[in-house]
Amino acid sequence: MHEQCMDHYERISEFLDGELDEKTCEEIRSHLKECPECLRCVESLQKTISLLKSTPSDPVPADTRKRLRETLRECLSQAENPAPAGESS
Amino acid sequence: MNERATSEEEHRLVAQFREGSEEAMEDIINLYEESLYNFGFRMCGHKEDAEDILQETFLSAFRYLNSFREETRLKNWLFKIAANACHRKRRKKKGAPDFEISLESLLPDNDGAGRYDIPDWSWDPAETLLQAELKKVIGESVRSLPPKYRMVFNLRDMEGFSTEETAEILGITPQAVKTRLHRARLFLRREITEHYRRGSGNA
Repeated sequence: MHEQCMDHYERISEFLDGELDEKTCEEIRSHLKECPECLRCVESLQKTISLLKSTPSDPVPADTRKRLRETLRECLSQAENPAPAGESS
Repeated sequence: MNERATSEEEHRLVAQFREGSEEAMEDIINLYEESLYNFGFRMCGHKEDAEDILQETFLSAFRYLNSFREETRLKNWLFKIAANACHRKRRKKKGAPDFEISLESLLPDNDGAGRYDIPDWSWDPAETLLQAELKKVIGESVRSLPPKYRMVFNLRDMEGFSTEETAEILGITPQAVKTRLHRARLFLRREITEHYRRGSGNA
């Protein structure tokens, strides 16, 4: 990989995330017009990010939701009403 | 209520919780339990661990919500608690050690001659099996990331936190977030590509 390609390779994510200044973006855009390997690299990384972001999340299982609420109710009510001194360790 | 609550909605719920509203507590849970559960699952890889992370996070949050100074979003504070719970769980379980991913190991020349076959996510209900397979591949690829890269990737790309927010949640510099995110993405591209390359080779 050429030195210039390597410089850009390190910054592709920042480029795709819009975190680079306009001058650097323009340099990268010009380079991509001349370098099919870097262009392929940028496009495939963009596609990877889109794929990962579009993966749907799982719903919380009903028994997990139930246990969460039971645990919170139990632990938080204990915290509000601590046992009298001497009754707990 | 969806997960795109504004900071105003969060502020209102926190204020109502402090006044003793159980409804506000339930609203806060409903708002973030799915994203926290999925975050815990992606970080730890087991449903039992994801449930532990969820419980620890909300328990700690509701115990200390009265002293939460709202210098950050409620969502960010919850994920900070969850990230710490994931660290603790990993230490307790003596998980695989963290390791560095070098950029050199992910260069195109070492990476299949710069060819990447990344599938598209299909929302077609007729492709349920393909979706399940792809989701499994993505899940396994994410879990094979070293923990510190997995953490940044999950916060940035899956939960949508900005670079600055992620840095604040993890107590690292924005530059460290950018470096880890970029390497995590390159690593995942390679893992997914290799999986489908192996698959097509076996076909």
